[in-house]
Amino acid sequence: MAKLLLFHGRECPHCKKMLPLVDKLEKETDVEFERHEVWHDEKNADLMRSFRPIIAPKCGGQLRVPAFLNTETSDAVCGEMEYDKLKEWVTRK
Amino acid sequence: MKKRYWRCFVCNDIHYGIAPPELCPTCKVLNAYVEITAEEARKIFGGGPDIAFAPADFRGAIERFTAGNEFQVNPDAEKVESLLEGVFANEKNHGLKYCPCRLSTGDWEEDLKLVCPCFFTIHETYKGQEKGECWCGLFVRRT
Repeated sequence: MAKLLLFHGRECPHCKKMLPLVDKLEKETDVEFERHEVWHDEKNADLMRSFRPIIAPKCGGQLRVPAFLNTETSDAVCGEMEYDKLKEWVTRK
Repeated sequence: MKKRYWRCFVCNDIHYGIAPPELCPTCKVLNAYVEITAEEARKIFGGGPDIAFAPADFRGAIERFTAGNEFQVNPDAEKVESLLEGVFANEKNHGLKYCPCRLSTGDWEEDLKLVCPCFFTIHETYKGQEKGECWCGLFVRRT
C-alpha cells in the first residue's frame, strides 16, 4: 500500500486544478501519490470508501474530492489549496 | 422518522415525506393525501410521461431554482460545463445526479444528500461565508 493516495473525480474542477500542482510537487520533491479516479472506476471508489473513517471527519463528514490521504499518519485533507499548503501537508510528520 | 409515500385522492399527485401535505399544491384540496406503498408510487410514476432532462434543460431548471434565492449558478462557464458533464455522467452510470466532487457511500439515504442541487446552504463552504459556494462550486452566493 502506497503511503500517499490521491482520490479525484474526472469532472471535478477542483481536481483539475490540483492535479498539475501534484505533478509539480512530485517533480520537485521525492513524494509520489498513487492516483485513483473514483467516479468512473468502481474499484477505486471502493478503495476510497474503505478509508471513509479517516477521510470523512477531515472532509465535512463526506467523501469529498480531491482527497489527499497519508496512510502512515492516517491523515487526510480535501479540496483546492495553494501549492505551499499541499507541500506542507505532505511533508508534515 | 422515516419518509413514506402519499397520494392525493383527487389529482394523484405523489408526495414523499414524513407527513402528507395538508393542502394539495396542485388541486388545492384539503386533507387529500392517503398513504400508499413504494410499489404503488413507482407504478404511478412509471406510467407517467417520460421526462428526460438534457444538460441544457437542467441548466434552465437550476437557473429558475436560483432565481428567488440568495445564490446563483456560477458565472464561470467552463467550471459549470465540467460540473454538468459530471452530474450527467453520474446519472447515467450511477442512477442519480450525484455531485461529481463527492463520492457516494453506498448508503441510499446518505447518498441522497449528494444529489445536485444538494442542501449546500448548511455546509461550511457556504454558511456564513461572504463568498460562499457549494462544495463543487456550481452555486455561489450572489454578490
